[in-house]
Amino acid sequence: MNLKDCHNFSDFRKLAKKKLPSPIFHYIDGAADDEITYARNTSAFDDVDLVPNVLRGVEEVDLSTTIFGKKLDLPFYLSPTALQRLFHYDGERAVGKAAKKFNTMFGVSALATVSVEEISSMVDTPKMFQFYFHKDRGLNDSCLERAKAAKFDVMALTVDTITGGNRERDLRTGFTSPPKLTLASLFSFATKPMWGINYLTKGKFELPHLQDFVKEGTDVNSSIGNYFSTMLDQSMNWKDAENLCSKWGGHFALKGVMSVEDAKRAVDIGCTGIMVSNHGGRQLDGSRAPFDQLAEIVDAVGDKLDVICEGGIHRGTHMLKALSLGAKACSGGRLYLYALAAAGQAGVERALEKYRTELERDMKLMGCTKISDLSRNNLRFRR
Amino acid sequence: MSLKNCYNFKDFRNLAKKKLPSPIFHYIDGGSDDEATLRRNTESFNECDLVPNVLANVGKPDLTTTLFGRKIDMPIFLSPAAMQRLYHVDGDKASARAAEKFGTFYSMSSMSNNSIEEISNISSGPKLFQLYVHKDKSITDDLIDRSRRSGFDAMCLTVDTLVAGNREKDHRTGFTTPPKLTLKSVMSFAMRPGWVFNYLTGKKFELSNVKKKTDKGTNIAKSVIEYINEQYDPLMGWKDAEYCAKKWNGPFALKGVMSVEDAKKAIDIGCTAIMISNHGGRQLDGSRSPFDQVKAISDAVGDKLEIILDGGVRRGTHVLKALASGAKACSFGKMFLFSLAAGGQQGVEHLLKNMHDEIYRNMVLMGCKSLKELNSSKLIYRK
Repeated sequence: MNLKDCHNFSDFRKLAKKKLPSPIFHYIDGAADDEITYARNTSAFDDVDLVPNVLRGVEEVDLSTTIFGKKLDLPFYLSPTALQRLFHYDGERAVGKAAKKFNTMFGVSALATVSVEEISSMVDTPKMFQFYFHKDRGLNDSCLERAKAAKFDVMALTVDTITGGNRERDLRTGFTSPPKLTLASLFSFATKPMWGINYLTKGKFELPHLQDFVKEGTDVNSSIGNYFSTMLDQSMNWKDAENLCSKWGGHFALKGVMSVEDAKRAVDIGCTGIMVSNHGGRQLDGSRAPFDQLAEIVDAVGDKLDVICEGGIHRGTHMLKALSLGAKACSGGRLYLYALAAAGQAGVERALEKYRTELERDMKLMGCTKISDLSRNNLRFRR
Repeated sequence: MSLKNCYNFKDFRNLAKKKLPSPIFHYIDGGSDDEATLRRNTESFNECDLVPNVLANVGKPDLTTTLFGRKIDMPIFLSPAAMQRLYHVDGDKASARAAEKFGTFYSMSSMSNNSIEEISNISSGPKLFQLYVHKDKSITDDLIDRSRRSGFDAMCLTVDTLVAGNREKDHRTGFTTPPKLTLKSVMSFAMRPGWVFNYLTGKKFELSNVKKKTDKGTNIAKSVIEYINEQYDPLMGWKDAEYCAKKWNGPFALKGVMSVEDAKKAIDIGCTAIMISNHGGRQLDGSRSPFDQVKAISDAVGDKLEIILDGGVRRGTHVLKALASGAKACSFGKMFLFSLAAGGQQGVEHLLKNMHDEIYRNMVLMGCKSLKELNSSKLIYRK
């Protein structure tokens, strides 16, 4: 199997599984507890059906949408994800360049392995910086200032990682960052020699936004769950979010809002967007799927800020369903991470091309030529 | 595989399966008929979703609650389960000590292999005695009197075992108590020499609480099913339950109530609590699961009775969902019996620690400071 055999989400996943040492693959692939929410994030889309309209004249389809004041050529973007150089040695460089080519937004995590400055010198299309609220206020200020200086367009504050989720696959594989060779994982690393060679020869593994402030994650064997539980400030509240929002002074989103009540408060504190998300099912298992919750949130605040549907998206039709319910755009992490692991920049570009082609085809089959043609009239919920 | 690799129900179950002779493992593991209710008990939790609130400044959530007039450290406890000596040589002593350590209820079955007095001597933690109404009323009276003298805090009367369920796994494995070596099962016993050694060299197997009154279940090889059918009074009615409640004259629950109507009657006869339960899917297959029924019962009687959800609980999030639907606490049998079989007192402690940590973590992720904040607004049922 190679890249040209990858036609959909599950193909990219298979190729990633072949390329990655298993603790790293399972770090991407796994979720919390019994992974019920993870599965629901995708299966939620299957409880609603699209109803096409025919004879509409659809030879030209415009997929562009405007979020956070930026026009994107695609109605979806690449969510910020941590530690990308673990998945492919080019990491964020590969993802950023691919996003630029398709003129969509990509997110850079506070736990990125390439600095905001370097990204910014490489990518002039819209960029989101994802922010964790650390106990160390100096670190928080530094992240904010650097992202601002690097001309990032949007700041997203993650609010669903107040403590680490129970990711049992990581407990079993002993996933740490940087990866630690244990007897159990040694075999898996040994059977993926290319990953090992690239990891060791293509530049040191770093967390450039954190390294001046903390040792965790750089030279301590720290799991992501540990990082969330020990480094982040669990007392973070609405006042802190509001302060960050005004300090940033630009487009600001909360990532991980699930309740209508919280969505309304996000408007009150000055957010211009929210990412309806349960962190890809990696935090609270048994929590509601973004698509299940989307309509209520759009009804409450859809006219006041940009509502993004994040999580479980594997197909163009999933995006059409979310956009029909009123999401301004969709986003995903695994959506491009498997492709990144599978083949770096070429992999992400192929994934983006596949999703773009699907969207175009599905729009035509639906009888729609622009995103604003999509509405709830296109959807029927099964009982 | 060892105790430290046990992260969840499945892990404890696997380890128990390794340690126990198969007739004994299947006695715990099995339900009645096709086990549809057994499966539904857990699956029912997956049809509704938790909706977290973010930025809630939760700090350290308080997991304490009061049950049967005693303050407990978390809203879960060990259901009464018969013949624990079969699962581990320490039997009820192990579970009672583990429960005390975690500040919650241990429950003693009428069919325990340890006596009321014996357990009361080793544990000052919260204790619930489980009563069966025997055909011989003097057995029932004796159990109530001794429980009171020994300082048990509460009593529950099991009302869903008027006749034994059709546990087909037991028919096939030839499960009897004490276990009888048949040709079919001899291999399975032979392959677990540790269990056999402990069983033969430990204290004699007996039903300690009823041994003076009946030799049944002690001297002759008898299946549990035959014991239930011979010893328990199938004519038991509300009058008998009322008699027990009055005679006990303390916190009193009916265990195995499923209908709203019966829940209301429970108030009338002087109960302070009910355990919504179908006996872990071991009695009437095809009957409703506790979680499916808890909201209706709680809406009807939640302000007058403490509602305990018993059955299907495997995860901290299940407990959160049960509490959000109106339960005061949850209890479980199979899960702790597997942990008991897996590692005795240490096994049960490991399980209780896991469950405590899950409930704690999930409360933080839900943005809840205390159990009181778990209400119907935190839960959405899918259409």
